[in-house]
Amino acid sequence: MIVIRSRPLRSLIRAAVPFVLIPALAVLGTLVFDRQKHLIVSMSAAALALLLFVTGFERKSTGTRRLVIVSVMTALCFAGRFIPVLKPVSALAIMTGLYLGAEAGFLTGAMAAVLSNFYFGQGPWTVFQILAWGMIGFFAGVLSEHLKKGMVPLLVYGVVSGLAYSFIMDIWTVLWYDQGFSLALYKAALISAIPYTVSYVVSNLVFLGLLSRPLGEKLERLHVKYGI
Amino acid sequence: MRSFSEYDPIVIALYFLSVTGIAMFCRHPAVTVIALAGGLLFYLKRNGRANARFHLFLLGLFAVLALVNPLISHNGETVLFVINDSPVTLEALLYGLNSAAMIAAVLYWLRSFTEIMTSEKLMRITGALSPKLALALSMSVRFVPMFGAQARKINDTQKTLGLYREDNVIDGVKGSLRVFDILITWALENGIITADSMEARGYGSGKRVPYTDYRFRRWDWLFLAADLVLLALCIAAMAADGLDINFYPRIVSPGMTPLTAAGLAAYGILVLLPVIIDTEVDIRWRLYRSAD
Repeated sequence: MIVIRSRPLRSLIRAAVPFVLIPALAVLGTLVFDRQKHLIVSMSAAALALLLFVTGFERKSTGTRRLVIVSVMTALCFAGRFIPVLKPVSALAIMTGLYLGAEAGFLTGAMAAVLSNFYFGQGPWTVFQILAWGMIGFFAGVLSEHLKKGMVPLLVYGVVSGLAYSFIMDIWTVLWYDQGFSLALYKAALISAIPYTVSYVVSNLVFLGLLSRPLGEKLERLHVKYGI
Repeated sequence: MRSFSEYDPIVIALYFLSVTGIAMFCRHPAVTVIALAGGLLFYLKRNGRANARFHLFLLGLFAVLALVNPLISHNGETVLFVINDSPVTLEALLYGLNSAAMIAAVLYWLRSFTEIMTSEKLMRITGALSPKLALALSMSVRFVPMFGAQARKINDTQKTLGLYREDNVIDGVKGSLRVFDILITWALENGIITADSMEARGYGSGKRVPYTDYRFRRWDWLFLAADLVLLALCIAAMAADGLDINFYPRIVSPGMTPLTAAGLAAYGILVLLPVIIDTEVDIRWRLYRSAD
């Protein structure tokens, strides 16, 4: 068995397997299977990725403090989704990932999706929302060193994640409508979703711009004071 | 006898998964019609004539989605007419109608699901997978009203101190940002105190036990068995391509083979199960009341 010495690398690989490798395999899988099965393949891949994460999370010893702080951030995301037009969920997940680590960022985005959908409607799309918001928080944690350098990289990440969220959810829209993936329908979905895409990007810019300093200071202080 | 929403959450979740799953994965107009009729019936049974806006929203969505496909997809042999040099085909039109009806049907079912599946019931399901995750989720649920109450307190104090006015937009935004700022500081510190208190009381030192003691009762098992048997029949029909119609390039139906008929019948019964259960409960309730 190969033992990887560096601890950050090890945990990165452990987290990357469910969230990067399995969706990547799903995309490859859709190219191999015939068109009718795209929806089944992608949905089971997404569900499998989440199941793997949940079982891994259960076995790992997470500190009680970290767990509670993640719940606090989730509650803030949840409440934030009731703000009309501008949605702070991605921005809050990014901040959590930035200061509390990739896993915490993933959890915050994912749990916010599950919980808020009790009000906004549960459905198969919840699985894709979990993955999309979770990944946004997760990669903020992975890239935290670069994103903490200044406002510009953070805002760039905000724009990219806003676009990514919209693009991921539109893949789902097309899969649901057509069962298979059709490029023409995807283009139509992307175009019709432009107002939403703009609102995601603007939300991220506004909330990251407003919150990154005060919220960052507080999360940093939490780290200094309590060692989270 | 319990009404459908009082069955075990795991049973309920599996039921909705099978009903919506079959509707989504079969491309057969009969399946779509059954799903739509069943979903609408169940929704009306639970909500009566309320929520007219939801019906209107679905109707609008249906119209838009049904039109999208024939305008974008030009597959199919039977050309109806030509717009801007691109042909609109009968097959693409019917395909769009079927997809749109399917999505409307699934949305009806999921609306009922969202109503039935409260967050408390979610704890039962996540608790079965991961108690730790269930704890984190339930804490978040509790934090939302708590933060709301705290935010009101902070807001009142700030206003009493004369720190901002609500009739001035810039001042108002500044004020609510400050309230949010204070709220976050308080929420994070409060979270640490909660965590320390949990540890002091022995969180994580033993096996966790849930507050609500959900247990499978006789009717849960019976319902689960019925759900699985009917689902298996549908899957058998699906596996034999009995519940799939090819739209492109020409509509090819599998016809009414015994397997297709069995699959459709099974799906029809599956879709009606909760309505039957709830109607039975209604009747029983009336009989009990009139007996005195």
